[in-house]
Amino acid sequence: MAEISVIGAGTVVSGHVHGDGSLEILGRVEGDVSVTGDVIIGASGRVRGNVSGAQLTISGHVQGDLRGTRAVLLERDARVVGDITSPRVAIAPGALARGHVQTDGEPGAALAPRQVTPAARVAPPAPVARVAPATPVARVAPLAVARVALARPHLPPAPAPAARQPSVAKAPARPEPARPEPARPEPRRVEPARPVAAPVAAPPPPPPPAPAAAPPEPAFVPVRAINPEPRRPPPPVIPVLGKGVKAKKKKSRD
Amino acid sequence: MAGTVIGEGLVVEGDITGDEEIVINGTLRGRLTTSDAVTVGGTAVVGADITGASLSVAGQVIGDVTASERVDIQAGGKLVGDIKAARFTIADGASFKGNVDMED
Repeated sequence: MAEISVIGAGTVVSGHVHGDGSLEILGRVEGDVSVTGDVIIGASGRVRGNVSGAQLTISGHVQGDLRGTRAVLLERDARVVGDITSPRVAIAPGALARGHVQTDGEPGAALAPRQVTPAARVAPPAPVARVAPATPVARVAPLAVARVALARPHLPPAPAPAARQPSVAKAPARPEPARPEPARPEPRRVEPARPVAAPVAAPPPPPPPAPAAAPPEPAFVPVRAINPEPRRPPPPVIPVLGKGVKAKKKKSRD
Repeated sequence: MAGTVIGEGLVVEGDITGDEEIVINGTLRGRLTTSDAVTVGGTAVVGADITGASLSVAGQVIGDVTASERVDIQAGGKLVGDIKAARFTIADGASFKGNVDMED
């Protein structure tokens, strides 16, 4: 019972392996492996089938599900394609695992802390790093920038440099009314576009925005320019020779 | 140490193919092919055709055996099946039933 079975590196087993005791696989097994003891799959081990045992230590390749009643340990060179089910699952850096991993069952009292530590390593750092520093900073930064950007243009027009706070408070109020103003020119511009009028209709809209409100116009002008440019069909290529010129030449030769 | 060991209590249902020594103390049902020695321990139960360089049987084997070198059935061993080997010994107390072909 206590004897350790070995499937050597030069051995291929095509069939199922089950029973008592521990098993070390250094060769190839094409079939299910199910033992009551531990299973060690060496770096040269290749298993194509489901593997179940008390503790699975894997350094080789497994294509199939792993089920360890005590633990499943994937060592550095392990490569597993299949589901892993065990109360304790360890995947070392460098190991490759593809499949569903489930840490179920009754972990031993001594094993519990080990299970907690890997979880703590993986879980807390990631959320902390992503949630705490990234989002708040990112949110605060753009807002601050936006506020500053809004405040700067409005500050110069504000005649009172002494009272900055009131000016800032007034600043947001001013842009609000200013925004509807730019909205008005939009419909005007759209109207000329609908009739698909000749180029004459296009030139009139640009001049009015320029002399009108200074800050909102520049923002809209580029938008207009960008949109129509790509829509324009390519300029016609005028052939060097007019249509029928060659025919005329031929006729003249004849 | 042998290349492959099927320990007592372990059951292999299927074919074993290899190029190294194989020791069986458990149960094998299927086929066993190797280019090296095969040892069937006292606790083993083998229901398989065996092909190897040599075979030593202390347990129970049911199946045909082809060995390029020799076949030895130890005392307490049991073999049922045809044997094709250049050299073949049966120890006192061993059990054997089958045909023997010792032609080279």
